[in-house]
Amino acid sequence: MSQKAPLKVALVGCGKIADGHVEEIRKMPARAEVAAVCDRELLMAEQMATRYSIPAYYDSYERMLETERPDVVHITTPPQSHVPLTRAALDAGCHVYVEKPFTLSYADSKALIEHAEKAGKKLTIGYTFMFDPPALEMRRLLAEGAIGDVVRVESWFGYGLGGQFGAAIMADPAHWVHALPGKLFHNNIDHLFNKLTEFIDDEEPRIRADAWCRRQQRFGDRRDDMHDELRITVLGKRTSAYGTFTAHVKPTAHFVRVYGEKNIMHVDYTTRTVTLEPGATLPSAIGRLVPAFGQALQFLREGRRNAAAFARGDFHFFSGLNRLIAMFYDCISADAPLPISTRDILRISLWMDRVFAQISPEKSR
Amino acid sequence: MTVLVTGATGFVGGPLVESLLAQGTRDLRVVARKGARRERLDAAVSRHPEARVQRIDANLSAPADAARAVEGVDVIYHLAASMRGAPADMFLNTVVASQYLLDGLRGRKARIVLVSSFSVYGVAELPRGALVDESTPLEAHPQRRDPYAYVKLRQERLFRDHAARHPLELVVVRPGVIYGPGGSPFSSRVGLNMFGLFLGLGGRNILPLTYVDNCADAIVAAGRAPQAAGETYNVVDDDLPTCDAYLQAYKKQVRPMRSVPVPYPVLALLSRGLERYHAWSHGQLPAIFTPYKSASTWGGNRFDNSKLKAVGWRPRIATEEGMRRTFAWLREQTPAGH
Repeated sequence: MSQKAPLKVALVGCGKIADGHVEEIRKMPARAEVAAVCDRELLMAEQMATRYSIPAYYDSYERMLETERPDVVHITTPPQSHVPLTRAALDAGCHVYVEKPFTLSYADSKALIEHAEKAGKKLTIGYTFMFDPPALEMRRLLAEGAIGDVVRVESWFGYGLGGQFGAAIMADPAHWVHALPGKLFHNNIDHLFNKLTEFIDDEEPRIRADAWCRRQQRFGDRRDDMHDELRITVLGKRTSAYGTFTAHVKPTAHFVRVYGEKNIMHVDYTTRTVTLEPGATLPSAIGRLVPAFGQALQFLREGRRNAAAFARGDFHFFSGLNRLIAMFYDCISADAPLPISTRDILRISLWMDRVFAQISPEKSR
Repeated sequence: MTVLVTGATGFVGGPLVESLLAQGTRDLRVVARKGARRERLDAAVSRHPEARVQRIDANLSAPADAARAVEGVDVIYHLAASMRGAPADMFLNTVVASQYLLDGLRGRKARIVLVSSFSVYGVAELPRGALVDESTPLEAHPQRRDPYAYVKLRQERLFRDHAARHPLELVVVRPGVIYGPGGSPFSSRVGLNMFGLFLGLGGRNILPLTYVDNCADAIVAAGRAPQAAGETYNVVDDDLPTCDAYLQAYKKQVRPMRSVPVPYPVLALLSRGLERYHAWSHGQLPAIFTPYKSASTWGGNRFDNSKLKAVGWRPRIATEEGMRRTFAWLREQTPAGH
């Protein structure tokens, strides 16, 4: 990192996820400082500024950009406002971190990225799981050739509708999630796809999606149109993948399985473990007996590694967010490549469009 | 005269509606969200067929809904608040929703009975056993407390600021620990359940209970007393148990449970350690105990209810009977074998 003055950061959208951003930015005082926050509801901006002792808060985004002249803007508003807010920040000369989902459509995403390129400013998006410790470990093992050539990938994203956010969506037919083209999926399946882009190089793989609604509760309003189960298959030229979004399977799991020509890797984002399938290498009954112990040893090793991280004070929920923000700031300060390529942002946006085009609300009824 | 009750499907909402109807309110509007549990509310309403009760499904954190809720009302019992969740969500559903409610009045004259909380008092620096009454200073360091305390404090300020500029009769009611059938068994003042083990943190502190029906009566009493305009009232019952006594009674009447008493000096030490660890580890574990929070919740205060009694309130259900009813209900909820 260079010895430059810390980047001046402003944030718009003082909802729940904004807390995570501010907390992580504050862990890197040499890189950046949060100078101001904004929300169209002034009270929301005020509460954020109060709780985190942030020097300034606004209910006018334009005025904040004008007055504060930030280097970086974090956009943590609902996705419907991402395009105008990002454009305004770029036009004001700021680099922009946008929360996922990027926009409402591929066309919007493409226009926005072109706008950023024209402005000569950097953009990134909150695909934080790409930088979570298990993802880093997975990449290390892949580079070592632990599983050989990748044939298939499975991406699983469990969701709890009874959680804080899920409950808010279910309590309110006017919640912004219900207005997204892909509704609940639109706010989540970035996280299915952003684990696949490193394995599938195709611009436009063949995508098939099936969605349905499993829950019984009916409100008689637009909430009933929301699917809660989704299965996706992605057929690339060399590698294929399938993804699952589920709001009902318990425990609420979050993992990737990478199927190689030599072995299978299980990357678990919930328990932060990365393990290989043991496979039988010894003959007959011995071959069936030994692998369970091999598997146990792997989990022991993973547990020990996590315990060591915990002892160092380096075992946080927002590890990936922290790493992504740091990489983004460093790429601004050092004019280095982006942590997430614009090509991947666009591909995910396109793939999401393809999914939403195949699922209709009628099916959820 | 039209009376609005927000949070009518909540724990206090049903008994409050019952109390209002029993005391002669005839024109009532209640905010009851679709999907919320309405049994208690419906039962209360069904016992008073003479009253006109209008149920509306309104999301108070949407300005148009909030305006619709207050349209034409003269008195508002504002109970709706978020008790848990992310700080920003709690703030939105409590403070911002209150702002929209006030905006909806458009400067019109109204009486608002705001249900606040004991958590707004700044008690961390008071000596142990100090008596807290309505003149005790408010919390000066809300950011050092839990989000709920901050949110309720900001909500009170919002109403006071509004009342200073508009023809608003504001009555603030601050209940202690509201308990009863349908409520939760333990306030954090008694202790916390940590990984299946109950830590008894309250010890010999007085547990400032108010039985849900008594609390509802108190809110109505303050709401209807002409002299209450601009005043604040603590709500707490008489003959209160210590936290230990409450815990023992629970164990005897509901179910046996393992618990470990944590003396205050030990808690204070633990809090200092956790606060330091939280800072060192950049929040790897949540700072549920800090010296300031612990002093606020478990420091041991007594709360005064004489001002409330001066407007004619008396607890209808004695504490012993309230605990008996509550524990009987909790016992019914406990699955066999526990």
